[in-house]
Amino acid sequence: MMFQEGPADTLNYMIAGYAVILGTIGLYIVSLIMRFRSLRQDDVLLDEIEAEQA
Amino acid sequence: MTEFFQTLLIPFQYEYMVRAMWVSALIGGTCGFLSSFVTLKGWSLMGDALSHAVVPGVAVAYILGLPFSLGAFVAGLLAAGAMAFIKAKSRIREDATIGIVFTFINVVTGAIWARPIWNTWWTWDPRLVTATIMELIYIAYMMLRQGIDDPDRRARFSAVYGIVGFISVPITFASIRIFRTIHPVVVGSSDPTALGAFDMNAEMRVAFFFSLFTFTLIYITLLWYRLRLQQQKEKIEERKLRALST
Repeated sequence: MMFQEGPADTLNYMIAGYAVILGTIGLYIVSLIMRFRSLRQDDVLLDEIEAEQA
Repeated sequence: MTEFFQTLLIPFQYEYMVRAMWVSALIGGTCGFLSSFVTLKGWSLMGDALSHAVVPGVAVAYILGLPFSLGAFVAGLLAAGAMAFIKAKSRIREDATIGIVFTFINVVTGAIWARPIWNTWWTWDPRLVTATIMELIYIAYMMLRQGIDDPDRRARFSAVYGIVGFISVPITFASIRIFRTIHPVVVGSSDPTALGAFDMNAEMRVAFFFSLFTFTLIYITLLWYRLRLQQQKEKIEERKLRALST
């Protein structure tokens, strides 16, 4: 008991793990948002073209 | 020279060999005719996939003591049905992109976990290798879809590749149970009499199931938005085609 060491300090690894999880999912969400915006711009452009053609 | 030809004719002395030659010739002729038709229809990849898909059916038939042809026929039928269903109905691409994200997280955080526990970022362990191969198969699936312009061919090839690529999933899951591996078996311990089990304790189980629930919710949310994005994209494409045609 006198020489028993406590559990290893893995706080940095836990932070790194959360950073990878949140960062990866965050990047994917950002890519989805950017694609939605691009589609919305196409939508607006097509509305204008259809209005001109009508 | 005569001895050489006599050696070649030895199999024809046996009745079963003569029957096998007749059956092979008849099947070869029929399959050749059908293969020409299949190739012209652009289904040659389907034929290659089916010929491999019948192998597990033969294996199961052997285990159950059934005729091999029955196992092969059932497996081929199931594979063809699955490919047709995926081609026509499923949104496998949207699912696969989220799969790439989650599998990437799995591999990288696995390495981060391994560093303090195994004192190494990476080891050529069956579970790690099969998980990484599964990730690469997912990425190759997306690249395959990007590379084909014709929608019908793209759907067909993706369906075939998706069926074959899916085999990596049960292999990855079962790898720690089949092979000798450093990776712990925490879901259903392999040997209850083994000294020092790696089963989950109560706190680990709570953390595991909470994480499973959370990531399932994240997956459903991401899939819903991804499907919406794809539907928007298809509507925009239709409108573009209509605008170009007028």
